[in-house]
Amino acid sequence: MRRTSLSLGLAALVAVIWTLLPIYWILKTAFIAPVDAVAFPAPLWPSNPHFAAAHNIFGFGYTDADGREFLPAGQSKQVINGLKNSVIVAFFVTVITLLIIVPLSYAFARFEFRGKTALLMTILFSVAVPPVSTLIPFFILFIKLGLTGTTLGLIIINLTITVPFITWMLIGYFRNLPAVEPLARVDGFSRLSTLIFIVIPMARSGIAVAAIVSFLFAWNEFVFATQLVNGTPAATLPTAVSGFLFLQPQPGLLSASLWISIIPAALVAYFLQRHIAEMNLVEPVK
Amino acid sequence: MVMAYPMGYAIWLSMQEVSFFGGFRTSFVGIENYREALYSDNFWWSVRVTVQFVLVSVVLAMLIGLGLALLMHHVRRGRALLGAIIILPWSISLYGAGVMWQYLARGQSGVASSLINRMLGRTTPDTAVEYSLISSEQIVNLLALGNAWNLAPLVAFFLLANLKTIPERLYDLARVDRLNVWQRFLIVTLPPLQYTLFVFTTITLIMSMKLLDFIFVMSAGGPGDASATLTFRLFDLAFRQSNYGLSAAMSFYLLFLIIGSALALFFFWGRRLEDT
Repeated sequence: MRRTSLSLGLAALVAVIWTLLPIYWILKTAFIAPVDAVAFPAPLWPSNPHFAAAHNIFGFGYTDADGREFLPAGQSKQVINGLKNSVIVAFFVTVITLLIIVPLSYAFARFEFRGKTALLMTILFSVAVPPVSTLIPFFILFIKLGLTGTTLGLIIINLTITVPFITWMLIGYFRNLPAVEPLARVDGFSRLSTLIFIVIPMARSGIAVAAIVSFLFAWNEFVFATQLVNGTPAATLPTAVSGFLFLQPQPGLLSASLWISIIPAALVAYFLQRHIAEMNLVEPVK
Repeated sequence: MVMAYPMGYAIWLSMQEVSFFGGFRTSFVGIENYREALYSDNFWWSVRVTVQFVLVSVVLAMLIGLGLALLMHHVRRGRALLGAIIILPWSISLYGAGVMWQYLARGQSGVASSLINRMLGRTTPDTAVEYSLISSEQIVNLLALGNAWNLAPLVAFFLLANLKTIPERLYDLARVDRLNVWQRFLIVTLPPLQYTLFVFTTITLIMSMKLLDFIFVMSAGGPGDASATLTFRLFDLAFRQSNYGLSAAMSFYLLFLIIGSALALFFFWGRRLEDT
């Protein structure tokens, strides 16, 4: 028993290092003085914590203990604006996705109707289409409709990806829920109220996972955002961060802006892992 | 529904020659773009890179995911904390992961330079030597490793949910039969996981084939075009070289590859699972 717990502990250590090393390596840079951040070889940890980047990214100046002054980052406005836009986009995408996919995947899982297979195939097909190949058509369509550089356009684009993907994810989940519909009908529930009062509360883990997945997707979406809204007032946080990507002399600011984009996502992911363990996608072994 | 217009437009576009001289103009060229793609060495190179990238990504993501799931299943103390740490890579956007892996692997800022030089006691810039993990031979594998880092947590958590449904009784029986750890894993643990393994192999396969952001940020197809996957080639053709027609035609080959390999996986693996 002693030996197994020791090897488990070792395995856990390896897993933690594997998971955290890439994250740590960039995030440490935010707390290293700009001069040391570009030193070679790179420092292993911030031995003299330095908070210039953490202030500059929000548009505040910073004077350190040695009296050196650090001016606010020129992109701080974009980062804050991007944060605002990302929150708006992620919120609406999550809400609209849930409103569409809950009835949709429930219907797919429980009812037989004409054209069901064809519709299901269309959804699977949309999951398989790579975003790069719909990028150009959407780009041209959005120019015609005047949707480039708008939050609305970005929300629509995100929905074209979250809706099929999450419907696909949830069909199996709804199918495995116990068949309560006949019982509900005996008790006088209509189909709609069965869904609202019985099925949705029963499926809350699955729906929570769906909400979190669509939130994370919209929060992190990068390819469409760079092409459709980059450089406009509707730019989201990922595109604002990408403004730092090629600014090599200031990795501290890049790192600080990554902190901003990672913290909300990490909190959301924390709730995700608690819910996945509760939902059961496959039938239990009999 | 919403996909119909872009797909229709893409089909139309793939048969056009787009020119920008004197305004946006297109002329019908039929299957010319499709033929041009097949005769181009760049296209076949990208197919090769894509296949390698996807194979390595899927195998690594599934193995690491399975390993993490088993670990979380067996750990008693601190499981909540371990879970909170393990899910992290999945919450990080692909561009963020791209930045991270680039910093980690590059010679100038990388962890290899930092550790090796410190161990050898060379801590000043003029004595230290650069060790870069990025090379044209290994870049595809490195990208796949980063991609697996990002995908494995999701696989792990769904496998964990599934592991919890295996009755404890079966493990007691295995103890009676005096199975060793490896036999117990093969006979008791693995069979009930098969369906989830199949579903997530398909999901990681499709997601890796569609991947662009991570590659775009981390290596931008380079060095040279050593890591130019099909998605990167499409993006490059359309948005840098403005060769929309050829890019659209290639995107259909990519789509066929994605659907074809997903179907192949279903016929050779998924269908057998439904029979049993």
